[in-house]
Amino acid sequence: MADLRINLAGIKSPNPFWLASAPPTNSGYQVQRAFEAGWGGAVWKTLGDPILNVTSRFAAISFNGQRVAGFNNIELITDRPLDVNLKEIYETKKKFPNHAIIASLMVEPKQEKWHEIVKRVEDVGVDGLELNFGCPHGMAERGMGSASGQVPALVERQTYWAKEVAKTPVIVKLTPNITDITATAEAACNGGADAISMINTINSLMGVDLDTWNTVPHVAGKGAHGGYCGPAVKPIALNMVAECARHPHINVPISGIGGISNWRDAVEFILMGATGVQVCTAAMHHGFRIVEDMIEGLNNYLDCKGIAAVSDIIGKSVPKYSDWGNLDLNYNIVAKINPEVCINCNKCHIACEDTSHQCIDMLTDANGKSYLKVREEDCVGCNLCSIVCPVDGAIDMIEAPRELAPMTWNERQAVLSVAAECKADIVK
Amino acid sequence: MSDYQQFLDERDKIDFLIQKGCQINSVREHLNGASVDFLHPNGNVTETLLIGTANGRKYFSSLLISQNQPKD
Repeated sequence: MADLRINLAGIKSPNPFWLASAPPTNSGYQVQRAFEAGWGGAVWKTLGDPILNVTSRFAAISFNGQRVAGFNNIELITDRPLDVNLKEIYETKKKFPNHAIIASLMVEPKQEKWHEIVKRVEDVGVDGLELNFGCPHGMAERGMGSASGQVPALVERQTYWAKEVAKTPVIVKLTPNITDITATAEAACNGGADAISMINTINSLMGVDLDTWNTVPHVAGKGAHGGYCGPAVKPIALNMVAECARHPHINVPISGIGGISNWRDAVEFILMGATGVQVCTAAMHHGFRIVEDMIEGLNNYLDCKGIAAVSDIIGKSVPKYSDWGNLDLNYNIVAKINPEVCINCNKCHIACEDTSHQCIDMLTDANGKSYLKVREEDCVGCNLCSIVCPVDGAIDMIEAPRELAPMTWNERQAVLSVAAECKADIVK
Repeated sequence: MSDYQQFLDERDKIDFLIQKGCQINSVREHLNGASVDFLHPNGNVTETLLIGTANGRKYFSSLLISQNQPKD
């Protein structure tokens, strides 16, 4: 049995699986049930001045039979009085002293507001704080959430205000609704953040009803943008975690969030630099007990790899993530179609012929049987054929024998500029 | 002519000049690819090749890197 415990900036939990601040962590009843199911921590639904919500609130996109491939919400932060939440946090922490309870906080960008809520929340024994600079809807219109989180100076200042009085670790939760998340992550670090978490939800409009012309969801015939999450956002979140993890000025632990639905997703985030992960949509889709599979899967993975502790794999893939200019231009892969497995559906041929590099031929053998063959010399190794192929194992992407030494774009440009200087000397 | 055939054609021309002892002297990149000037070993004859294919441009760049590496 591998050691699944994590320590994120001093916040300890029995495993890396936390529930994210969202509807699943709205009450003590829910968080206690989650801990009983096995979740290692929970970020309490964001506390602040209690809000008023609308109905309806959620929408989801299903794609080719996969329910909830993406999820959208226009629900705001807690609508319950602070004292009620604090009482339930206190009771939950007393009942589950070894589980992590982190209070998500959102107040107006004023020093006294941050001081007040940090003190009140810490009085009931939370293990840490998460500053919500990410919520993209509703609260942003009031200058909070992502409206704050899109301005590095505001992120830094508010983090600093929270840190002025905080006795527990401060995590800053970042919005993805920004061109470069490392700018706000660095601002959080400059403000004294002990950790960062990402991503919050992405601005989204889920759809438009073709009959009524209403938005999905709509509230009495009107809609507003919501926050998008779920499996569809995972690649966006993973990139943002990785960009922060490899940034030289961002040296705090990361809590990874965004479309994490199973142990495999969690391992990917941890390999890319996250110390632990937060989950919401998958729990809303399948219930708290999905954490059982996550724990078992992670444990089996580590055991199979002979790794003693989950903390041993944090960031192991970060050195493999770089800029495009550092990729080897002379590395070549080509598609190889396995005729024993191929069902001759021709999807690869159509995809290649219409939208890629026209290198898959439809041929007929001596017995009149159709088959598909890649002209390897024309294949650019784009992967499209293997992506659209409906049969596992029918197309392999294989490494072509290396003909030239490794050369990156950056190396190429460096030598070309030297050549240009030499020419200048000759001209003189 | 396929891209690959065009690349082979460009590579043959590059190899021919290299085998004659020419060295890449300068490269001008433009919208049609790159014009590569090869300098003859006697130093007073320059030949220019227009290299249009992506693989051709990778090829002469790799040769240029190799050419600029210190010799043992």
